[in-house]
Amino acid sequence: MKRAWLWALICANLAALIALAFVYPDLMVSPGPLTHGHEQVQKQCFSCHRPWRGSAASLCLKCHVLAQIGLRTTKGVAPSGTRIAVPFHQQLIEHDCMACHSDHAGPKFTEHSRKHFSHALLQSAVRDRCETCHARPDNEMHRALLVGCAICHGPDRWKPAAFDHASLASAVLARCDGCHQSPKDSLHRQVTGSCGQCHRPGRWKPATFEHDRYFLLDSDHNVRCNVCHGGEGYRAYSCFGCHEHRADEIRARHEEEGIRNFEDCARCHRSPDAEAEGNGLDGGRERD
Amino acid sequence: MKARLLRREVLPFLLWFALLTAAALVLDAALHALDLDWIGRYLGIPGAILILGSFAYSLRKRKLILAGRPAGLLRLHERMAWTGSLLVLVHAGVHFNAILAWLAVAAMLINVASGLTGKFLLDRSRRRLEEARQRMRQQAITEEKLEELTYWDSLTFDAVKQWRAVHLPITLAFAVLAIAHIAGVFLFWSWQ
Repeated sequence: MKRAWLWALICANLAALIALAFVYPDLMVSPGPLTHGHEQVQKQCFSCHRPWRGSAASLCLKCHVLAQIGLRTTKGVAPSGTRIAVPFHQQLIEHDCMACHSDHAGPKFTEHSRKHFSHALLQSAVRDRCETCHARPDNEMHRALLVGCAICHGPDRWKPAAFDHASLASAVLARCDGCHQSPKDSLHRQVTGSCGQCHRPGRWKPATFEHDRYFLLDSDHNVRCNVCHGGEGYRAYSCFGCHEHRADEIRARHEEEGIRNFEDCARCHRSPDAEAEGNGLDGGRERD
Repeated sequence: MKARLLRREVLPFLLWFALLTAAALVLDAALHALDLDWIGRYLGIPGAILILGSFAYSLRKRKLILAGRPAGLLRLHERMAWTGSLLVLVHAGVHFNAILAWLAVAAMLINVASGLTGKFLLDRSRRRLEEARQRMRQQAITEEKLEELTYWDSLTFDAVKQWRAVHLPITLAFAVLAIAHIAGVFLFWSWQ
């Protein structure tokens, strides 16, 4: 008898719970409260869901007229400041509202896994013109750019960006210090002219500057750059001027050997201590 | 001399039950950490199928089917129901939304607890209590004193018996609530 009562009690409770699911579907069945603006359809599941077939964009578009999205609310008034800045829903490749919108808020700590807007849903003509929706960054580097954002930035995130110097106008490219700070070390402080003499646009290192390839700077020659390189760039140099290398003496010694082209010293003398390489003939050495 | 049912039988049982919930929490946390929480949404399906499959023992026990060895089916019942419950728990996560679904989870947990009671506690408790009583009788302890000494163990044993009794009614509650939840999913969700 007691057991029959227990069963009856359980069945009655279950029937009550099922009945409550019909009366309060928003509490009993819904996976979370609806987003702001949809409160009035909280209990009317079939406003958005088709029985056995899920929610449908066609039902959304009954209230949200496609041509008006972003321009007018469902009540026909202009959207307030918090709404989207640029209407773009009309430019989507297909009208699948649920691809971005989940009306049920769901648990807080699953928010990060919810679907977000994807630029892939935009028609290509709109997708390639970022400025249709986004303001151009107001800084010196971006102001000077002549190319589209997609050259450096991916469609869904601003960062990381893959910047390519090739996208810069040549005048901007030549002025590295327009974007980069000049190095403050003792070597670079002496350098005048463009960074491009030693560095390539893609990377700071490796740099091509290797003085030893041209002339080994031993302890006697470790001097400031402008001692040898006057002011006409680093390709031009002169060994004359110090007490050791006087022009008249050098001339006399080389002419004695029949060498006439002795202005370009490093052509034969790559190291202060080593013997001269080559014989200077192709540069004008003339033997008697 | 005492049977010490609470410490030797009930606590290990509770720890074993806690293992089920801990395993579910760890799995759920791992899925979230790996950004694979969408898998949890579908774990309800194998979980429900496993639990449904475990009913073979219940049918055999009541002679509604005649195939299969009852002892083997009981082991299968325990394993399938435990694994199915674990999957359903991961499926539920710690997301307190639809009440109906949560009531189904609560009924399932009560059901698991009552099932574990049968598996872990009843037989061993009965045996241990009886052994303790026998030992006391051999030591010429009076029945009155014996009742006094085994009072708390007897009380614990009676409580454990009550848990076992709810296994079938709670199974019904779980079945109805789970079917209502599944019907709701089919009614409102798109499987595309």
